[in-house]
Amino acid sequence: MARKLRVRVDHATCVGNAMCEAIAPKVFRLNENRQSEAVDPAGDTVEKILEAAESCPVSAIFVEDAETGEQLFP
Amino acid sequence: MAATVKDDMFTPDVIADPYGYYGRLRDEDPVHWNYNYALWVITRHDDVTWLTRHHELFSSAVFKNDPRPAYPAIDESDLGLYEYVRNYQGDQFIQHDRPEHLDMRRIVHGYFTPKSMEAWRPFVVNAVKELLDAAEEKGSMDVMRDLATPLPVLVIAQMMGVPAEDRPYVRELAEKLLYIGRGEYDRMPILTDGMKGMLEYVSPLVDERIVRPGDDFISVLASGEKKGAFTRHQVLVNTSLLLLAGHETTINLLCNGTLAFMQHPDQWALLKKDPAGAAKWATEECLRYDAPVKSIQRLASQDVEMRDKVMRKDDRIRWFISSANRDPNVFSDPDRFDITRQPNPHVAFGNGVHHCLGATLARVEGQEVFKALAERFPDLEVATADLEYQPSITFRSLKSLPVTWQ
Repeated sequence: MARKLRVRVDHATCVGNAMCEAIAPKVFRLNENRQSEAVDPAGDTVEKILEAAESCPVSAIFVEDAETGEQLFP
Repeated sequence: MAATVKDDMFTPDVIADPYGYYGRLRDEDPVHWNYNYALWVITRHDDVTWLTRHHELFSSAVFKNDPRPAYPAIDESDLGLYEYVRNYQGDQFIQHDRPEHLDMRRIVHGYFTPKSMEAWRPFVVNAVKELLDAAEEKGSMDVMRDLATPLPVLVIAQMMGVPAEDRPYVRELAEKLLYIGRGEYDRMPILTDGMKGMLEYVSPLVDERIVRPGDDFISVLASGEKKGAFTRHQVLVNTSLLLLAGHETTINLLCNGTLAFMQHPDQWALLKKDPAGAAKWATEECLRYDAPVKSIQRLASQDVEMRDKVMRKDDRIRWFISSANRDPNVFSDPDRFDITRQPNPHVAFGNGVHHCLGATLARVEGQEVFKALAERFPDLEVATADLEYQPSITFRSLKSLPVTWQ
């Protein structure tokens, strides 16, 4: 059973660089303001989602374990 | 309105104070057609944000896709040199659109993540300390010459594995490359001289990394050739680009920020009260208040309507960070330097898919410099009344910044 994640993008910080969407397109999608939304936290592997979060140039992506609440990134 | 605004963006008063001129455009004619240079001038924060996030409407291939002659005009005998400039600039990854831009950015993006740049902080701290030790010993300092230039050159050269003894030569070439944003009609020979010199200089460094890759950044670029994202010429041009972009803009952040503190003693006092705690948001305010880059260009990829104007396909468009960062619709009391602003959604690094690759590195260098200056030189003062800026429409660059202390 894969780990369930909670993924959040802070829109006060997101600059729409879209690298997260390029890395995990099923998880992240740009909204009409061209800021990233976490549309499906189960859309890719934990590794890919963490890679996307780490690639955010302004550290706007927060990832935690949905069950334990443990913060996985940053 | 248009008739009352003089449209020369290179006059000494606009160079000295871009905030007055572009601020007035922002307030009175935010999507402004500049007759003089035949281009659109975009000055509001919301328009700049929208424009930079719609890369499919606004092409970054501003040399490759633009058949028109250079602006401001150049000497007719230099038209051949301009072709060289177009080919050189056109191979920079920042002057590409998707899908090629994404392939190229993927190669370099991972090297510059916030987490990997944080690992460079101790190196930056130590470099700042050594430069300030030397200044202290000498008893005087030109912030530009003795701190703001050597620090980022040192850092980017270290990342790229450029030998220490070559760094002054790299800076010399970089100064020629900066003519890209200037208006002199005879600027082409200097510019192409810098470009040719840079390619010649980096060529053997790249050759070596192709054969024996290391953990330096030139090896990262060279890996792009093996992966098919870059041609060899593109590896060379982008190595040169990163050597230049990796320091020129940071020089401006460090000088303009230091000057802002010197001109606002209350904010300098605030920083000195808690240098380590205040440095982060202080650096953001320096980036907002007197941004290193004033404006960047795009080409309309199709007809685009903005406010009540229609920009036609292939029109030149310049978006102005300097005015967007002072937009009263976004920042209260925007002309006030206030290091406690939080959040601070300035657009000094742009926005969208072309958001500055080196943003985190610039932030780390700014934070460590402003913190160290506040700790070590609490009574720092500007030693001249005569501050001059380079006549560039792209960069907000002081020519020098001499300071004194007790």
